[in-house]
Amino acid sequence: MNCILEAQDLCIHYNKTPILWDVSFKVPKHHMTAIVGPNGAGKSTLLKASLQIIKPFSGSISFGRCNSDNHIAYVPQKESIDWDFPVSALDVVLMGRYGRLKYFQRVKAADKEAAMQALQQVGMASYSSRQINQLSGGQQQRLFIARALVQKPDVLLLDEPFSGIDMATEKLLIELFIKLKNEGKSIFIVHHDLTTLDQYFDWVILINTRLIGCGPVKEVMTQENIQKAYGNNLSLFEEAHHLSKKQAEGYIS
Amino acid sequence: MNVLEFFTDPILRAPTIGCLLMGVSSSVMGVISMLRKRSLIGEALSHATYPGVVLGVSFFGVFFPSYQDWSFLGVFLGATLSSYLAIKVIHILETKYNVNSDASLCFVLSTFFGIGLLFASHIQFSLTFWYQKIQVYLYGQSATMTDIHVIVYAFLTSLTLLFLIGCYNHLKVILFNLEYAKTIGIKTNLIEGISFFLFVVSIVIGLRSVGIVLMSGMLIAPAVFARQFTERLSTLFLLAILMSLTSAFLGNYFSYTLSEKYLITMPTGPLIVIIGTLLAFFALLFAPKRGFIFRKVRIWNFKRKCIRENILKSIWKSPSQLTDFSYLRKNIGLSTWFLKRHLKKLEKEGWLRKEKNSFALTCDGIKKSERIVRLHRLWEVYLAEHLDVGVEKVHKNAEEMEHIITPELEKKLTKLLDNPTKDPHLQPIPKE
Amino acid sequence: MLSLNPYWGVNFFGFLWTFISRIPLLISGNCQMVQDELQIFVLSLMAISCSLIGVVMMLKKTTMLANSLSHTILVGIVIAYLLSFSSQGGFHPFSLSIKTFIIAALISALITTFLSEFLTKSLKLQEDASIGLVFTFLFSLGIVAVTVFSRNAHIGTEVVMGNVDALVSKDLLWLLFIAAVNISLFILCYKEYLLTTFDPVFAKFMKISTTFFSYLLMLQLSITVIGSFRIVGVIMVLSYIIGPALLARLFFHQFTKLLLFAPLFGIVISIIGVALTRHFLSMYQMPLSTAGMCIAVLAVSYFLALIIKKRKKSWQLPSLDQQDQSEKAL
Repeated sequence: MNCILEAQDLCIHYNKTPILWDVSFKVPKHHMTAIVGPNGAGKSTLLKASLQIIKPFSGSISFGRCNSDNHIAYVPQKESIDWDFPVSALDVVLMGRYGRLKYFQRVKAADKEAAMQALQQVGMASYSSRQINQLSGGQQQRLFIARALVQKPDVLLLDEPFSGIDMATEKLLIELFIKLKNEGKSIFIVHHDLTTLDQYFDWVILINTRLIGCGPVKEVMTQENIQKAYGNNLSLFEEAHHLSKKQAEGYIS
Repeated sequence: MNVLEFFTDPILRAPTIGCLLMGVSSSVMGVISMLRKRSLIGEALSHATYPGVVLGVSFFGVFFPSYQDWSFLGVFLGATLSSYLAIKVIHILETKYNVNSDASLCFVLSTFFGIGLLFASHIQFSLTFWYQKIQVYLYGQSATMTDIHVIVYAFLTSLTLLFLIGCYNHLKVILFNLEYAKTIGIKTNLIEGISFFLFVVSIVIGLRSVGIVLMSGMLIAPAVFARQFTERLSTLFLLAILMSLTSAFLGNYFSYTLSEKYLITMPTGPLIVIIGTLLAFFALLFAPKRGFIFRKVRIWNFKRKCIRENILKSIWKSPSQLTDFSYLRKNIGLSTWFLKRHLKKLEKEGWLRKEKNSFALTCDGIKKSERIVRLHRLWEVYLAEHLDVGVEKVHKNAEEMEHIITPELEKKLTKLLDNPTKDPHLQPIPKE
Repeated sequence: MLSLNPYWGVNFFGFLWTFISRIPLLISGNCQMVQDELQIFVLSLMAISCSLIGVVMMLKKTTMLANSLSHTILVGIVIAYLLSFSSQGGFHPFSLSIKTFIIAALISALITTFLSEFLTKSLKLQEDASIGLVFTFLFSLGIVAVTVFSRNAHIGTEVVMGNVDALVSKDLLWLLFIAAVNISLFILCYKEYLLTTFDPVFAKFMKISTTFFSYLLMLQLSITVIGSFRIVGVIMVLSYIIGPALLARLFFHQFTKLLLFAPLFGIVISIIGVALTRHFLSMYQMPLSTAGMCIAVLAVSYFLALIIKKRKKSWQLPSLDQQDQSEKAL
């Protein structure tokens, strides 16, 4: 069983409008996989569905044997966080350990030690007591990766980790990810920059509501496939499903 | 006691007209604040008037104790000043100190009111008579309004209406997109400043009829009501004003009836607000386009339409000329009773005719079924050719979309697919 | 009776001195608690409950929902009264049995949240408008019902203002219980509250239910408001929810510290408030509302704190800049 992530006829609806439709693929272990597609293609949705945060309308997607959350770590998009919240960097990384703690358990010294180690891995050990609103964009991103690392995951899922970061931090992060991949982890990244695909990744899932391709980067990212994903032949589809959505809410009969 | 007497009787006319004027100004400013998505600022500001009300009344009690009838001027000025101060504080907290808007509204609301409580507790025993005058402002008491009140309210309301009519176009742009308004040279700061002031004024006018605690209801409810019926700004204002006038009048009417017939003294505020919010709920449920009930009805109608179209399609596809009931029963997953009802309706509408226990399509029925089948198969072609969907999977989605595709969409599909004659299952596609 | 009150005639500093010296006596049970001390303890307990809840609600940006709930409790009380058929010689919302109390709290929390959510989600109304509509409607219904049932036209005023001077020692026990419930819930569910407020998506991923904890918070709020409003009125409860939390936020930037210092600030403000009320009574023969005084103290403290913060910022700015620039280069 060499595959880490498998989807079968996955359909995800939002208000009767399909966001992901009939998606099936298999991704092997120990790869750095990019999830690419135009805006609104369902990339974040795919990620959230694989984490069981969103329930599919039909079909399935799962992480095979590593289905217990302790082995899968998730780094969400930066925008969904309130950066004014009164917590320090260490507090945020400690949150990654909450999954191991039962309802009334407190945080122990071992947890703090693990958190400091994770901060060390991303090069932020000296910032442990800083307030999160005093961190730069790149530091905030590294902090959330540390929170994922403290869960000692086998699989790492990141939603647009490179958006709004300077080049230097991006290089730093990519080196960290490659190191993790070489240590045997599987990494999935929702990515928006097609130019860096073959540099950073060795596997890609190309989607635009439907699966266009899943496989090694060079095989999937052909001219034809890119045209299918980013081209305009879905406009009638979108129009029809817009009508369907309006009908489902009762605005047309 | 007929309606006209409420406007002519010397005792009743001031309360009635006073409430109506409150309705006009509060609905106008309420629409503006709702469109800015700051509906709760009225709540904070109305509570913030309390210290001003107390101070205003005390001022009269101390310096002009013989001019009781004019004390409302003190209330007015005091309320306006403290409310205006509150709006400034909210603004400073949000901009200079980065306090979240929710927290700043809540803070200003409770602290201003609390300070008012402090002042009120002082005069509770030293100026007891005047203290009673303050309490009516908590929940409103229109019955004791005089003609002088009405004249002042009328003047202020006309200012509001003048502002609305005069700055209407500028307001429209500001409400839609503030930054854009600034870039095309509209004096946004001036207009915002005037609207803040008039907002305070509308609250102060409403204090006597609705009271401090419930005033925000009459700012929000008319706007919500009107919004369910229209998308045009001018109609929005008009409907809000009309609704507000209705609830103000009815609330006043019921307050009078309760005290005269049933001897229950009820403050006017709760009555006006109950009627107003009930009207708003009514609109949310029953407005023709956006109303909840109508939307649910439309969804249900669509389901019925799908079932009927599926029945026609099934008859069209059946191999024999006449389709018997058991065949339909097998193909369409419905109970006998429902199926019979649908068939009866279809027969009545002229889509099919019944012969003993079998059914056949009429000419119109054939045309209609062919159209549905055409849409189904066109969609299948589209999915297979443009979206690479496997042939075995196109049918399911097409089953749904065949009921939704409009004639315009059909034209676009035909053009895009180059008027195909066969679907992915190699079945013929009926012509247009 | 008046001459037995050790606080009679003292000024502000005298009050504090007397209070401090009486604490060991009170603890050892050597003397009876007097009205002023009862007020201090009751208000402090209320401050603890309210500010704990307030810290979380402020960070969740739902304090106006707390305003809404503090009004709708009246309807909850009316319904609970009707359901429990308890007739203690006429209806008065200030005299509730425990059963009625709990039912009222549950009903209020549920109605408010359900209605607001129904309006926002199914009727597609914007959130602030739905909060405003729900509470004005329910509160108006409550006022009408209560006025009709109790034949008392001034009920509305009492709900909003409360009556601190009518405190009895039973209230102390009540508020002690409520404070204990709140403190223990916050200690037990600290991680869950932190996570569901800060990062709801991550919380869902960790299988911690955001819905459960927001309903739990509303229930805590409901119980606290119903337990406290007869003493100080709903508006003061609200100011104790948002005030100490905002004050603590100015000085402290750790969630844990906020939960610790907001109640502390609340207690200090209550003590100063009661002391000042006694001061005004003794020195100027002015009887003032204790609740109003506490809120005034809160407002002044916040105002001073803002000024102090502005001054502090202007002193500290240069050194922080340099340190940040060298580290941000990473």
